[in-house]
Amino acid sequence: MIAAFRAATTNTARALEIVRMVLLFLVWGGLLGYALELYVIGHWLPTFQSQIPFYVSIPGVVFIGWVFFDRRTPWVRAAFTVTMVLLIVTGVLGAYFHWVWNMEDAGGIDWAFTPAMKHFHGFRPVLAALAYTNMGVTGLACMYRAR
Amino acid sequence: MIERWMQAQTPDERTLAFLQNFFLVIAAFGFVFYGVEHWVIDHQTLEHWSALIPGWMSIIGAPLAIAMFFSTHRALTTVFVVAMALAFATGMVGALLHLVWNANDLGVSLFSISGFLESMQVPYRPVLAGLAHTHVGAVGLVVGLTAWVKD
Repeated sequence: MIAAFRAATTNTARALEIVRMVLLFLVWGGLLGYALELYVIGHWLPTFQSQIPFYVSIPGVVFIGWVFFDRRTPWVRAAFTVTMVLLIVTGVLGAYFHWVWNMEDAGGIDWAFTPAMKHFHGFRPVLAALAYTNMGVTGLACMYRAR
Repeated sequence: MIERWMQAQTPDERTLAFLQNFFLVIAAFGFVFYGVEHWVIDHQTLEHWSALIPGWMSIIGAPLAIAMFFSTHRALTTVFVVAMALAFATGMVGALLHLVWNANDLGVSLFSISGFLESMQVPYRPVLAGLAHTHVGAVGLVVGLTAWVKD
């Protein structure tokens, strides 16, 4: 990203790289911030699934930082893309399971509209998990057509 | 922004316009989404007048973001950029107020590590959730500040 910005010869190319860098930096900061927040609120529990957001943050922080300096190496790009897809999946699965577990805590899974919406606002925030999906989608978009 | 994408001549112009439109969708969606979410959790019924600010930010931000798809007129873009800067600040102030009020409710000092961590963990007033508006504002600012770029 930085090399592409420095090599840009037109205003459009410079703006394009600025957009990419600023938004990738937001994702990078978001990954660190969410990991910190999840740790503070006690999301690190003795179950594998509660630790997934922490595990996906590690390659996320590493490969976003890496592509700032090198986005040409094919395996780095592939690893970055896989990591972003992992973030997307993590967010979607997190939202789904937060919802299901809210229902299970209340006595059982019931997808009828009224009970489902009631448990949508349960102890585990359903939509909060989608922050990871947002970060993954943003990361993929930032690398779109990045030569 | 849509017109800008359709009239793009070079690969860089097309990619920039695509990203601007894409992130404008995220900003517009964010304003609508957070507006609905604040309404669902009854944020507007809280006692302090500042509880209305996130709702108003969505009411102002969402139509401006949607309007930007159809025009990048200088006046509209200026208002949009100002609104996005306000959204950015709203998130920062919101997170800070959540933190301070949590500390007040708990009777702890924010200048001690234990007091700070306790104040961060209050579930009904999430501190970092306030930063959602900062995120949407930052995304909108990136779009707005690059809306006039030409070669």
